Amino acid sequence: MLIAAAALAAVVVALALRLGRTRRTVAALEERLAAAAGDLESLQQAFARFAPAEVVEDIIAQGVSTRSEKKEVTVLFADLKGFTTLAEHLDPDVLVRILNGYFERMSRAITDHRGHVAKFIGDGILALFGALEANPWQTNDAAHAALAMRAALADYNATLAADGLPALAMGVGIHRGTVVAGVIGSAELIEYGVIGSAVNLAARVQELTRAHAVDVLVTAAVRDALDPRFTLHAMPPLEVKGLPDPVATFAVDRFDAETRSQVPATP
Amino acid sequence: MGLAAATANLEWGECLVPAGPVPPALQAEVRKAVGAVPGWLARLAPSPWLVRTLCEIIKRPFAHAPLEVCDLVALVVSQENSCRYCYGVQRALFKIFGYRDEYLDALERDAQVSELTPAARAALDFARRLTRANPRPGGADFEALVRAGFSRPAAAEIVFAAAAYAVTNRVGTLLLLPPEPLVSFVASPVFRFVRPLLAWRMRPRPRAPEPAPRPDDGPCAAVVAALDGSPAAGVLRRAIDGAWASGVLPRRTKTLMLAVIARALGCAHGEREARRFLAAEGLAPGQLDEILANLGSPQLDAREARLVPFARETVRYQPAAIQRRMRELAHGLTAAEIVEAVGIAALANAVCRMSVVIDAC
Repeated sequence: MLIAAAALAAVVVALALRLGRTRRTVAALEERLAAAAGDLESLQQAFARFAPAEVVEDIIAQGVSTRSEKKEVTVLFADLKGFTTLAEHLDPDVLVRILNGYFERMSRAITDHRGHVAKFIGDGILALFGALEANPWQTNDAAHAALAMRAALADYNATLAADGLPALAMGVGIHRGTVVAGVIGSAELIEYGVIGSAVNLAARVQELTRAHAVDVLVTAAVRDALDPRFTLHAMPPLEVKGLPDPVATFAVDRFDAETRSQVPATP
Repeated sequence: MGLAAATANLEWGECLVPAGPVPPALQAEVRKAVGAVPGWLARLAPSPWLVRTLCEIIKRPFAHAPLEVCDLVALVVSQENSCRYCYGVQRALFKIFGYRDEYLDALERDAQVSELTPAARAALDFARRLTRANPRPGGADFEALVRAGFSRPAAAEIVFAAAAYAVTNRVGTLLLLPPEPLVSFVASPVFRFVRPLLAWRMRPRPRAPEPAPRPDDGPCAAVVAALDGSPAAGVLRRAIDGAWASGVLPRRTKTLMLAVIARALGCAHGEREARRFLAAEGLAPGQLDEILANLGSPQLDAREARLVPFARETVRYQPAAIQRRMRELAHGLTAAEIVEAVGIAALANAVCRMSVVIDAC
């Protein structure tokens, strides 16, 4: 009888110990699951800067997103002038440091004005306005971003000069048009991007900054949508690769904050 | 870091407006309405209409939609907007009502895998999309809610619930309201002993249906009318009328903010209403077109020139960025003007999101 009771007690103790261990294991697993969920949430929020939230959710849930749509966006294309030549004379570490400093400042100017950097292409930047979220003010935002980039580059050049490094020169082309936006790529490398002649034209207009010796050029489609407080001056139309007719462009000089009329503040 | 902790631990600076004196009558009114004096009262008191609106939202003005679904909508909207203040309060309330953290985490992670009815899942999915408004859901999305199993009045209340948290989230985040003591209390050892009493006292009760207020001739009357039969209709009417009558900011400034937010959200009804009232204020259509196209114009006074572009930024935002922007905006504005501007932007965001109910009519 005593032996049976002792055996039963031993079994109960063993079961209790096992139950305790299982509980601890479950608690640890739940904690890890919660931590993983938190990380996923942070990741999801971070990726929302690169693709619309629904696209990010598709990719997380299914590994792929088949959403694609036509959108009116404003495309900003920026490139460094003469950088290839400059690169040949600089130490690789210095070159990368200069380039990263440039990208960081330009990216900030773009995101501060509700644009998103779609990709870096060598020393070029492709930025989109109105691609991730509907934005009725996308063209003004892009032009403000370009002026902010101009100011940021001047500031950066002063820093480079202080370090005895050469100054950078930039060309920016902006065009507004319809593109197809969606997740593009292969199983190995995908990105949320846009396709369409509007992207090519922005790149071509950026190239025209060299011919016109200016830093920021916009197309007629941009000029038509732009706040009249931007001061523009027309450039002679020039031919560009891939288009049958010469392209009219406008250099962006500045944005004039207006003199505000005072309206009596009566409720 | 867990999901709850991720939102609860968002960086949060010092509140943008100081605590000030509260008129005893307003304090008594709030205490009667919500059973306590919340910490935000002393900060929002310069805009009594906003205080009353928040109290009415807290009281859950729902007669048709299941209250549990409305509360879950509040939680996911607060999470979606990354509002640490509202999210903390909502999680605390759920804890009081006996929900497990694991259940809420699962729900926030993916409504599809948690223990919800298909209708409740549809409501949460709709609430998320209405919050993002990218693009703003329309009549078809409302009909999808009805097909998911909600009556039309219940679906309208779900729209209201999701949009109403556009108000509380914006007030909490933009003004950086400090956390309520309730949030830390639910983590204390004493909590488990008093939880049943708190749950009994705070458990929401469904309200009786109410006809839309008459007359309903103020701004955005069509949205109010579409909520007919729900106590939410009266809440919305009183909120809009209160904001409209408030003298802290000129009526023209407030309507311009509504127009900008309506434009940003693609809300034709809101923009039409703003145009109508701005015309009555003497602003020519061409002048308004210029303001809306460029978010600026020589027609604006100095304060409007700051508030008009700001209104646009309240539509979709990241907390850190909008709070940085709020600090810039606050310079040169009085505390009362800051509270009022945030309240107006928050209400306009809610009304333009709620106009889904007229799209469906």
